[in-house]
Amino acid sequence: MTLAHQKPSETAQTEVPEGHVRLTIDGQEVIAPKGELVIRTAERMGIVIPRFCDHPLLDPAGACRQCLVEVSMGGRPMPKPQASCTITVADGMEVKTQLTSPVADKAQKGVMELLLINHPLDCPICDKGGECPLQNQAMAHGRTDSRFVDRKRTFPKPLKISTQILLDRERCVLCQRCTRFSQQIAGDPFIDLLERGAQQQIGTSETAELEKSASHTPDGTPFQSYFSGNTIQICPVGALTSAQYRFRSRPFDLVSSPSVCEHCSSGCAERTDFRRGRIMRKLAGDDPDVNEEWICDKGRFAFRYTTARDRIRKPLVRGEDGELHEASWPEAMRLAAEALLKARDGKGIGVLTGGRLTLEDAYAYQKFARVAARTNDIDFRARAHSAEELQFLAAQVAGTTPEHVSFASLEKAPIVLCVAFEPEDEAPIVFLRLRKAARKMGTRVAFVGQWTTSSVRKTSGELLACEPGGEAAALDGIAEHAKDIVEALSAEGAVILVGERAATMPGLFAAVQRLAERTGARVAWIPRRAGERGALDAGAVPTLLPGGAPVTDAGARAALEKLWRLPEGSLPAEPGRDTAGILAAAAAGELDALVVGGVDPDDLPDPRAAREALDKVGFVLSLEMRPSAVTERADVVLPIAPTAEKAGTFRNWEGRDRPFEVTLQNTGAVPDCRVLDTLAVEMDVDLFTQTPKAARADFVRAANSVTRPAATPVEAAPEAEQAKAETNGHVKLSTWRQLIDNGSLQVEEPHLAGTARPAVLRLNEATAQRHGIVPGEPATIRTERGELSFPAEIADLPDDVVWVPSRSPVGVYEALGVGHGGLVQLSAGTAAGAESAEGPAGETGGAA
Amino acid sequence: MGMLDPIKGFGVTFSTMFKKVVTEEYPEVFYPTAPRYHGRHQLNRHPDGLEKCVGCELCAWACPADAIFVEGADNTEEERYSPGERYGKNYQINYLRCIGCGLCIEACPTRSLTMLNFYELADDDRQKLIYTKEDLLAPLLPGMEAPPHPMRLGDDEQDYYVRGPELARQAGQDRQSSEVSAQ
Amino acid sequence: MGLEEKLPSGVLLASVEKLANWARRSSLWPATFGLACCAIEMMTTGAPRYDLSRFGMEVFRASPRQADLMIVAGRVSQKMAPVLRQIYDQMAEPKWVLAMGVCASSGGMFNNYAIVQGVDHIVPVDMYLPGCPPRPEMLIDAILKIHEKIKHEPLGPARARLKAERGEELALPPSSLRYARKKDRKEREAAIPPNEREGKRRSTIPLELLEQ
Repeated sequence: MTLAHQKPSETAQTEVPEGHVRLTIDGQEVIAPKGELVIRTAERMGIVIPRFCDHPLLDPAGACRQCLVEVSMGGRPMPKPQASCTITVADGMEVKTQLTSPVADKAQKGVMELLLINHPLDCPICDKGGECPLQNQAMAHGRTDSRFVDRKRTFPKPLKISTQILLDRERCVLCQRCTRFSQQIAGDPFIDLLERGAQQQIGTSETAELEKSASHTPDGTPFQSYFSGNTIQICPVGALTSAQYRFRSRPFDLVSSPSVCEHCSSGCAERTDFRRGRIMRKLAGDDPDVNEEWICDKGRFAFRYTTARDRIRKPLVRGEDGELHEASWPEAMRLAAEALLKARDGKGIGVLTGGRLTLEDAYAYQKFARVAARTNDIDFRARAHSAEELQFLAAQVAGTTPEHVSFASLEKAPIVLCVAFEPEDEAPIVFLRLRKAARKMGTRVAFVGQWTTSSVRKTSGELLACEPGGEAAALDGIAEHAKDIVEALSAEGAVILVGERAATMPGLFAAVQRLAERTGARVAWIPRRAGERGALDAGAVPTLLPGGAPVTDAGARAALEKLWRLPEGSLPAEPGRDTAGILAAAAAGELDALVVGGVDPDDLPDPRAAREALDKVGFVLSLEMRPSAVTERADVVLPIAPTAEKAGTFRNWEGRDRPFEVTLQNTGAVPDCRVLDTLAVEMDVDLFTQTPKAARADFVRAANSVTRPAATPVEAAPEAEQAKAETNGHVKLSTWRQLIDNGSLQVEEPHLAGTARPAVLRLNEATAQRHGIVPGEPATIRTERGELSFPAEIADLPDDVVWVPSRSPVGVYEALGVGHGGLVQLSAGTAAGAESAEGPAGETGGAA
Repeated sequence: MGMLDPIKGFGVTFSTMFKKVVTEEYPEVFYPTAPRYHGRHQLNRHPDGLEKCVGCELCAWACPADAIFVEGADNTEEERYSPGERYGKNYQINYLRCIGCGLCIEACPTRSLTMLNFYELADDDRQKLIYTKEDLLAPLLPGMEAPPHPMRLGDDEQDYYVRGPELARQAGQDRQSSEVSAQ
Repeated sequence: MGLEEKLPSGVLLASVEKLANWARRSSLWPATFGLACCAIEMMTTGAPRYDLSRFGMEVFRASPRQADLMIVAGRVSQKMAPVLRQIYDQMAEPKWVLAMGVCASSGGMFNNYAIVQGVDHIVPVDMYLPGCPPRPEMLIDAILKIHEKIKHEPLGPARARLKAERGEELALPPSSLRYARKKDRKEREAAIPPNEREGKRRSTIPLELLEQ
């Protein structure tokens, strides 16, 4: 180690910055920040120390002992090799890795041999074989043969931890990455180390005695973590596998392509692995700004809808016999164009896009509506919505960038107030960030909601309980009830997150804005679907042009007319109708045609009226992937490409663009923007959205050519007073959609569906007693329209409030006709027509 | 050029008439190939009829012509095709791509894939030249049972692999003795 | 022959068909199309050791006008494709194509931009012969299978319809079994995998005739 002794004299001049230390690794001097782990410092220098348990996003454990190095402090060597993943750098430390120290090398070889003693050498059938750190390490540095002659330890396998996650304990090297992930990151501690010594194993408390019921956590509740798939990805061996991907493929015949998740508005980076034109699995991509290295199970496992058997691959045209028949593209286009031209010159066309479009497709829809259909009747909101929401979106959300509120600013915020927003169900990655912020940065997380949900629990959150529909009043009165929260919100960096559910609560958006103005907190809107934010910015709304300028702004219209080479004054100047307005107009015969993207009537506040409108309107053009309630009523159905088969950009809730390229090439599927472009050409109009790239360029030009007006205050909707109506012996309904339910993007995923949270009816003890409801026994809520039954569960809801999931499996709107804040009758026992409650489930297709 | 040269020439032809014919009378008379000739593939079975293929796709990985497609699946207690957890659910060899190099045979960890000497494969249908698992599986010998069925020769796959040669020998002997007794 | 196309329905040419097919298959003259390594095996097949003249095929014609069977032996590059098509077009009807070796059949291991992925992209193929390269016996086997196909080819649309209605099928068993001497038959059978002994069945009617 002459090198190390020579060096100090040379580099002694280099000043060690404040908070840093100087140490030597393999004879090279390095300055590292205090508290950094030796393994990371070495990695920055390009010295790779083998490891299994170490993961940069998990707390150090020192479980696998593969990263042993020789350490001496101030010339005094430590008696034994040290795990470099747990030891932090110190001044004057001298580290020798396996590259320079025979001691460290021997120690690592010994650990490798020890790990392989009980490891079954079943690499040929192991899912990890080919991408396995243990395999690589053993091939690179391991012994060629084993000295172990006895029988290996075996376990029954595979052990089902949930319907999706399978555990093979023989392969496990006890690195504890999975247990640490579930405890620290997800907050669902469902597996842990059991036993001691040679019998040490991963399992649940019940596995030791009872193999079969492993899918239960120690307190007996079934394991339904929304993030369980990440444990598979970080497992350094093949001990954890998913039922979906198990044995389907090998890493070496997969083609990997970076992609973006199409499910929620977080826009997670993903890696899509496909084989011969079929997606085999999805993995989390590494994007520190957005999803770090995690994705939720829905993003990971829900992709089979692209290969669903009933996918529409050819245009369909309704024939004289009233049935849909396959047709050629030119024929379908011609029919659609003729009908739309007639409708445009008649009473008009309405455009409903659905919330799952890419930015480019949404832009094409709005351009189609404004240029080809000559109307502002376009709305992306295929869910409960309000005029107040639209005002809020125009004033507060459209055009914001990640500089306003981002994932990073959630971590830095002193407090995050979630209003009408259940992060774990609606935007799981936001939940992970909130949990990380609460755990590591001490961020306070407060929720305006009804009960202590798992999001509240796992973010150490505070619940500001209120009645459903009383959220606006609660926010206005927050200064009296929770003075400390108002104070915290007034601090620099405080954030208020509003969910899309707020649209069902009159006055809430106005209250949020008032609170933000009072405290100076920043407001971010987090919709549930991936395309909503992009559609808003692209102008797929009745009141806004691309770039966020109002349609009433003559200057903006003139600028767009110039850009789009349209005659002056040809863009419609009147604000259009929203989704409800378009459907009402269609039902009343005030519209001649509807162009519908991925819309599921069951998501709308009045599914029956929506279906009726689709029935009544003269011509329905549906752009769909799979048959739905809309295609049943459509006159022409044009098939469009799923996310994996097209390029595009999702704009996530931060306003961050998440571009992605085509994953599966040459499938013949075309994106919406191209279909609309061709259709417009048939109608003698040019949209210039032939490809997503062209559409995007056009969008950027359009957005740059208009100016967004300054924010205007949101006026509370007049219905705000209705919330105080007489309860009349009824109870109030609180509801939202759970992450995993029967959405149409989750079809053909039985294993994923098995990890869904059970549909239960939650209420507090007093309410349960008053209505004679026993926990665990079924309870029923009903309105004049229908009824729903669920097993009852006690939770800390306010008196006379019940919570049910919105779509499990029957839509609340469909069955009861009311949504969040509505009044329902509560009684014990199952529904009288229990069978009929299942009835509409068959129709729940659409864009979930 | 002498006068007799043409006669000399015919002389060669004439003398050949008395020599041994070298022509291989192929379709009528079949000369066996070398024992290790790379002919058509076969997916072998364990002595009880279970498939040896575990669907590991190493053959597909080794194939330089990308002629092999394999997809594995889970064995269940009710439906078992091979000992152990995994079996080859889908197995295809495209003989319009296969160059008979035998790298797949070397890659196979269970000796499931071997090559026969059979080579008369010509066909007028591309589809039929993509051999599926049914085409490739070895015929059932006496004492074998068509999968799916439970493991007959041991409690777990270790018994099949560790005692493999012994089991095969024993099965061979059983077959011989049964043939003798049948005669 | 032209005549059969124009005959009114009801006139059957059963015996004429047999005679014509016998003549056609008994002197099938190949046009050489040796492109790569397979051509070496093709030459061997024509040479005394395998002696294709046993099947009336000794003359490999360099001129397409005198050939009935095109043996595409070897990989067809994109540049060769138009030449191959031209030669095929110059051959007189009736004509047959044999794709010899995996490269001609599907591109084989040359899955790249330069090689045509199967000559059936250019010309209709009557027989695919796998192998890299196929040994002469395999080529003879393929040729004998083509002979068998020619033997059962319907003469004209009326015959085709009739054969289709009857559901006539044709199997192409391995030639070494089909033509085996009686005393060797059992031994041959034992050496051939059971599912190959019969050959896969197919309809005798060329698809394009049925579609007419």
